[in-house]
Amino acid sequence: MAVARPKTLRQARSSYATNGELAWWIFMRLSGLALIFLVFGHIFMNNIQINVANVDYAYVANRFSKGWVKVYDSFLLGFAMLHGVNGLRYSVEDYFKNPKRRFWAKLILFSVAIILFVMGVMTLWAFTFEEMGNAIDALPHGN
Amino acid sequence: MYRGREGQWAFILHRVSGIALALYLLLHVLDISLVMYGPDGPFNAFLAFYHQWPFRIGLVAVMAGVVYHAFNGLRIIIMDFTEWGVKYQAVMWYGVLALTTIIGIPVLVKVIPEIVGRA
Ligand code: HEM
Repeated sequence: MAVARPKTLRQARSSYATNGELAWWIFMRLSGLALIFLVFGHIFMNNIQINVANVDYAYVANRFSKGWVKVYDSFLLGFAMLHGVNGLRYSVEDYFKNPKRRFWAKLILFSVAIILFVMGVMTLWAFTFEEMGNAIDALPHGN
Repeated sequence: MYRGREGQWAFILHRVSGIALALYLLLHVLDISLVMYGPDGPFNAFLAFYHQWPFRIGLVAVMAGVVYHAFNGLRIIIMDFTEWGVKYQAVMWYGVLALTTIIGIPVLVKVIPEIVGRA
């Protein structure tokens, strides 16, 4: 196995050189606990209560028209992205020994993650390009 | 004392399931964001493509991965914060596998008929 990871809170405290890594260690556990409820609930609503094959534009539009779904899915998106991408970073750091390749792997990973996160937030809160255009037009313009 | 024992298998499965779930998440955010192109955009065609049986089986694997990763994550957290957890980590791993199977059975009973087109 690759780089040894601390196994207890005390080991994590003493072995991480930076508070940043310790904070991520704690975040992985807290977000993991939150994700148990968020992800199980998400799968229950969209795969068990209905047949996923029935998911189409109308279904998604209806879901995203509800305020509580926007809030629920925002937490799901935020926690899953941070937890998942930080987890992928652990693997990149374990398997990419060459510093140059490691740098590029992380740069690509973080870029893709940020772009998709922004797209996810736009989808939840603005929903369509048309609505986004209208919102932009409604802004007070100087000209 | 560690290689080839429960702890190593638990780690490998946790890592593989975590990576698979994170890659699935990236793809899933991308496909759902296609609704931004509106009702006449590419969303419906894209989803119809995903509703074919090979992808539905893939989705069953994703769900199994979630359940394993979630319960094993809980096992890791218990190991991190209690002595008891370190002592019983191997037993707990069999518990994780058992819970994953127990939850998996009713899910398969619900989902397989949908996939073979009988529900
Ligand atoms: C459902 C509840 C979940 C729990 C309880 C959980 C828990 C954990 C824990 C405790 C770790 C170990 C972190 C460390 O080594 O410091 C971890 C790693 C990881 N998790 Fe999760 N997780 C959950 C959901 C998810 C989801 C939804 C994803 C994907 C988006 C994910 C992706 C990962 C990845 C990629 C790793 C890194 C694996 C490794 O380093 O070997 N997890 N998880």
